[in-house]
Amino acid sequence: MADVAIKPNTQIDLLNATIDQPLVTGVPSYHEITESVARIVEDKPTKLWFGMLAVTVSLLGMLLVMLAYLTATGIGVWGNNIPVAWAWDITNFVWWIGIGHAGTLISAILFLLRQRWRTGINRAAEAMTLFAVACAAIYPVFHTGRPWRALYWLFPYPNTMQMWLNFRSPLEWDVFAVSTYGTVSLLFWYVGLLPDLATIRDRATGLRRTLYGFFSLGWRGSAHHWKHYELAYMVLAGLSTPLVLSVHSIVSFDFAVSVLPGWHTTIFPPYFVAGAVFSGFGMVLTLLIITRKALKVEHLITLKHIDYMCKVMLATSMIVGYAYATEYFIAWYGGVNGEQFAFYNRLFGPYWWATWSMIFCNVVAPLPLWWTAVRTNITAVFIITIFVNIGMWFERFVIIAISLHRDFLPSSWEYFQPTYVDILTYIGSMGLFLTLYLLFIKFLPMIAIAEVKGAIAQDIEQGAHH
Amino acid sequence: MIVPIQSIKKPQPAQQYWRSASQIANTAKFQDWMHREFPEGASELPEGSTRRNLLKFMGATLALAGLTACRRPEEKIVPLVKGAEHLVPGKPVYYNSVFTMAGSSAGVMVETHDGRPTKIEGNPNHPHSLGAASTYAQASILGLYDPDRIAQHKKDGNAIQWDDFAKEVPFLFAGDGAKLRFLSQRIASPSYARLKGETLKKFPAAKWAEYEPLSGDTAKEGARIAFGRPVAANYNFEAADVVVALDFDFLGMDASTLLNARQWASRRRVRDHHDHMNRVYVAESQFSVTGGAADHRLRMKAGDILAFTQAIASKLGLEAGAPASVPGGEKASKVLDVLVKDLQAHRGKSLVAAGPRQPAAVHALALLINQTLGNIGASVQLLNATESTTEVEQLKQLVADLNGGSVETLVVFGGNPVFDAPADFDFATAYGKAKTRIYHGEDDNETAAVSTIILQAAHYLEAWGDGVNYDGAAAIQQPMISPLFDGKSQIEVLATIIGAEKKRGYEIIQETWDSALSGDKAKAWRKVIHDGVIAGVSSATVSATVNQGAVLEAAKAQAAVKSSDGIELVFVPSSHCYDGRFNNNAWLQEAPDPITKLTWDNAALLSLATAKKLGLADDVYQLETEAPSFSSQFISIKLGSGEVKIPALIQPGHADDSITLTLGFGRQKTGQVGEGTGFNVYPLRNSAGMSIAAGATVAKTAGTYELASTQDHGSLTDVLRTRTEIVREVTLDDFHKDHHAIQHIAHEHPEFQLYETPAYDSPYQWGMTVDLNTCFGCNACLVACQSENNIATVGKSQVLMGREMHWVRMDRYYTGSVEDAQMVAQPMACQHCETAPCENVCPVAATVHGPDGLNEMAYNRCVGTRYCSNNCPYKVRRFNFFDYHNKRYDWFTLGNKAPEIASLQYNPDVTVRMRGIMEKCTYCVQRIAHVRIQAKTENRPIRDGEIQTACQQTCPAQAIEFGNVADPESRVSKAKKLDTNYAVLQELNVRPRTTYLGRLRNPHPELV
Repeated sequence: MADVAIKPNTQIDLLNATIDQPLVTGVPSYHEITESVARIVEDKPTKLWFGMLAVTVSLLGMLLVMLAYLTATGIGVWGNNIPVAWAWDITNFVWWIGIGHAGTLISAILFLLRQRWRTGINRAAEAMTLFAVACAAIYPVFHTGRPWRALYWLFPYPNTMQMWLNFRSPLEWDVFAVSTYGTVSLLFWYVGLLPDLATIRDRATGLRRTLYGFFSLGWRGSAHHWKHYELAYMVLAGLSTPLVLSVHSIVSFDFAVSVLPGWHTTIFPPYFVAGAVFSGFGMVLTLLIITRKALKVEHLITLKHIDYMCKVMLATSMIVGYAYATEYFIAWYGGVNGEQFAFYNRLFGPYWWATWSMIFCNVVAPLPLWWTAVRTNITAVFIITIFVNIGMWFERFVIIAISLHRDFLPSSWEYFQPTYVDILTYIGSMGLFLTLYLLFIKFLPMIAIAEVKGAIAQDIEQGAHH
Repeated sequence: MIVPIQSIKKPQPAQQYWRSASQIANTAKFQDWMHREFPEGASELPEGSTRRNLLKFMGATLALAGLTACRRPEEKIVPLVKGAEHLVPGKPVYYNSVFTMAGSSAGVMVETHDGRPTKIEGNPNHPHSLGAASTYAQASILGLYDPDRIAQHKKDGNAIQWDDFAKEVPFLFAGDGAKLRFLSQRIASPSYARLKGETLKKFPAAKWAEYEPLSGDTAKEGARIAFGRPVAANYNFEAADVVVALDFDFLGMDASTLLNARQWASRRRVRDHHDHMNRVYVAESQFSVTGGAADHRLRMKAGDILAFTQAIASKLGLEAGAPASVPGGEKASKVLDVLVKDLQAHRGKSLVAAGPRQPAAVHALALLINQTLGNIGASVQLLNATESTTEVEQLKQLVADLNGGSVETLVVFGGNPVFDAPADFDFATAYGKAKTRIYHGEDDNETAAVSTIILQAAHYLEAWGDGVNYDGAAAIQQPMISPLFDGKSQIEVLATIIGAEKKRGYEIIQETWDSALSGDKAKAWRKVIHDGVIAGVSSATVSATVNQGAVLEAAKAQAAVKSSDGIELVFVPSSHCYDGRFNNNAWLQEAPDPITKLTWDNAALLSLATAKKLGLADDVYQLETEAPSFSSQFISIKLGSGEVKIPALIQPGHADDSITLTLGFGRQKTGQVGEGTGFNVYPLRNSAGMSIAAGATVAKTAGTYELASTQDHGSLTDVLRTRTEIVREVTLDDFHKDHHAIQHIAHEHPEFQLYETPAYDSPYQWGMTVDLNTCFGCNACLVACQSENNIATVGKSQVLMGREMHWVRMDRYYTGSVEDAQMVAQPMACQHCETAPCENVCPVAATVHGPDGLNEMAYNRCVGTRYCSNNCPYKVRRFNFFDYHNKRYDWFTLGNKAPEIASLQYNPDVTVRMRGIMEKCTYCVQRIAHVRIQAKTENRPIRDGEIQTACQQTCPAQAIEFGNVADPESRVSKAKKLDTNYAVLQELNVRPRTTYLGRLRNPHPELV
């Protein structure tokens, strides 16, 4: 991609203080880049891929069975109760939505900030956003137990009942926020795919050529095309940028707007956004570390990418840790009985293990990332990202279930325990995510060929300066 | 009443239409079938009626149909095929009747919809119910629609018709009845008693035993010791300033609980700071609702109550042979001194009463104390009673006769002696020795299972009957519906057995009461049926003097035999099953026990110290967890030849060295509801220790058991102690000193609203108050609400998951230490907040505010996000996690349809909610609508008190007020102006429409 506006890559230099590595190693030619990415799409799928697909499709099948069971009998197959009316369902919803955030952040904000290092990972991260949103969408729809009703009522449309939605409800804001987010992310991703789809089309024959040809919308790579493309991409990046902040802010309103101690707090929007970026990067790293190895694209997704992502993770981890501290401080300082109890209960109530797991995974576990040696050690980074994924799930569980299970009137207190359906549905949603991801890396260029080529040009330029 | 087609002469049409081949075949059989298709009588129309005749009949039909509506005393109950005048479809019709149980009766008013009974309320005319109804009476309606009830007469396992049995009667019941025996429950019906007498007259050699597992014999016996003749003591709690209840749960488990509660509550109601209250002292082993309502509660072994009573008597100067030390420790002796002073200060205005579990000597001693204090004739009324041997003796004699082989035919009327007879009688074996065992009952139970002839009984809503109380208050039981199957009432069976001339229930009842009516008998009878009570019938009061010597001697004799060493077992009726008869009743099984909050199970209740002694100390965590389920350690209890393995549950405030065992669970043969619930403790219950048994061996045993409780046990944690603003309680003295004491418990928070709040300016604004000072947590409102609002029962597995559906959550909190806890109850339902937090979070506007201040649920709008519940600070919303109504209990997955008959009970005015829908208290919006429409029709405003919510209507203590808060003169407005009025969680600014009147305890000033 020939971005003419920017020449010297100052931002990279700032970030690049410790790791003296190019964004693309081995200085491949343009052709080699095309080869190494398109090869993945064009080669016969490997046994490994089929094996993994078999596993993920089984998990997906399990998800469908669980959802069918839920739809046929009712929400009671989960462990939810009164007062814990939301538990794993909304925990998973927020967790998935959060995971999506890395994609948008990488593709939109880093694009606008001219962070060239995003090029190697943005396609995969954007794809993950879409798949995460798909996974997240399962929960609000199915957690009602009667999904046909949820779909029917939640969207505003003129009807003979003269009933309108309740626009005061944060759940309604969610509907708009998440659907906008999903739509814009899809468009952004698809627009970015166009030149690469055309590349594949040009190399393909037969039915594949027709299909890729159809989806590349007649891209010929003319200067006109590029001009419009660049503009559209920029506009979409501009549109996506506020969404990064707005989606999770609005998701956090589900809680912040309520009266429940532990939910009712103004810190939530920034806290949730930071947490979402944190968990998003965690998941992107987890998957890319495996992917780059399995698909042998280590020269395109380099240690430098990993290093940068680790830095973002570390920064957001600090924000999240600060938010935790603030919550507890305010609970103590505010002197409100119910609020103090809610936070005391988090630390020392029956779910103490969830809270302490959350604090360990999200605040303590990422601390080694301060060291370059850790950031460049793939194994260490992988382990830390797993902690982050787990920790961020616990964060949502702590906020949702622990706040609910003991609130104002002690007579209503109950303990929540998940059922096997809760657990299998959650694992199944990972099946959906991974299935989509596997299909994506097989059938679509998982690295933005055109953009990497743009980045390589600067690397060469940079190398010449050395 | 449809006129047969063939009786109408009309020109034959040219073309004949026919319905079936046999019709045009016009065979004799078809003619006969046609004839039988229509009700009897109607087909007796003369052939060849004219048009004029037809019109006459039609007119008569209409008139008669109208008469059925005003309950013309005609036995036939016909389905409402045609509408009758005055009977508006969709409008309920109420009939008065009477519910009898265990020898006592309470007047009920039955709501029927199109001839289908749907709800039971108290009959306001009846002196014992005064409009209130117990949980048992209310839930008894489920017995009518119980899919497991006996629905077929049977002989040797084969279905027979009633006529088949009737034909056999002369052979089964012949001769003088030397080998004929009868066993019934305690009889509360004069007609039944009359027929019993006639039966024994016809079979002079036959014998009749009456047996109830929970008897009142010791009270009778105690009175006999005291007065030398049978006398019944009737307590008047309204006349007592100081009440001492000795192991006497007079508010929870007594024959006249409803009346007691009303009288007690009338002395607890504090309207302004000059008002005074009675003072209640309770000594008991287990925690009862009376103990919870007490001002001073002493926990002591049930076996020690005698010694305590002796100590009271001694302090009053009676030579009662007081023990060296007062049982119950230091606290008890301190309270004892004050209690005696209090009693002496309130001569003639106090009351000492013993409970049915206590031996006769305690009752006799209590009567002596009452006489010494001059209470007899004031708070204690003496009534005439008849001489009878104790029920255990009667049963013992019957068992002896059975074992002696002298019984050929035994007729068992109701009850379940195979299950609940004393273990040492081994009734099951003895029963097998009778050749013909006839069981007449509704419940397909253990006794029915081993009977040769089973006669299905009519439910009391299906048959004519009557009932009296110990004080003679009489009421008529009238059928609401034709028997769903072919059930016969006891009196009908007896009439058939003795070959009486009048065999129909209605005739029998009328015959019994004919002499009690005067003047225009037909008119008087109609009034009796309408009112449900027979006015002016009561037992004669007698005056008698206590024989002091005999009483003191009896007390000493009893003190000598009683052994208080080791762990005692105390058998108590269950709030769920009573003695086992309601085992298959889902409402009662799921209504949480007022104290333990257990559902669907019983447990051995014991104190923390006893638990530690038994090595169950690890289980103390029970007190700290709020899990809906907690595993309880099994203990094994051995007594005599019986051994029972039962989970132990630590009960705060329970006496040490005492184990409370709840009767009625663990039935071998019961219906689908009761199946697998709880543990049978009858094997431990011998005739010598029917209430309190000593000498049991108790040990921890392997295994744990999951008990389903609707409320945590964590109510004693330190955190909770800081939450005094939820249930507010001060002493009466403090309230007298500072009338805002209750309101000062929490800081006043300014009513600050960011947003404009709704105006609520329509003329009717509904609100409610609940008086915690008179509410003692009996669950009557909870069951009433369930009945009125078609609330599903969910089964143990769902309660374990925390998904019970009761709109009224009967919150119970303990205060004080685990050892010596006090209890408060707080009914908690939707508070109808003016700025309801549930409303603004619902994405589909399914819960919205009505102009009259109701927080409304639009069920068919609800999609089930459950957000409203999360945002409800009171957590009073209930969610249909499964299709509870349409599925069998405890099994909600695919298939497993609920029995259809159960749906007959539903109130047609209230939507039956499907799965995925949120529900909650509506302030009985259907009742509001009903009255509003009525008022509109009559072009008048709604009167104060005209609308009664179901909970308010049935509250025995009248603790609930409901009405228009916009009218400053309404009762609810006046209650809200009281100094004790406060809103729970007022600091949230949600402005609840339900407020509470704070609890006042009235401890003796010397004990504060």
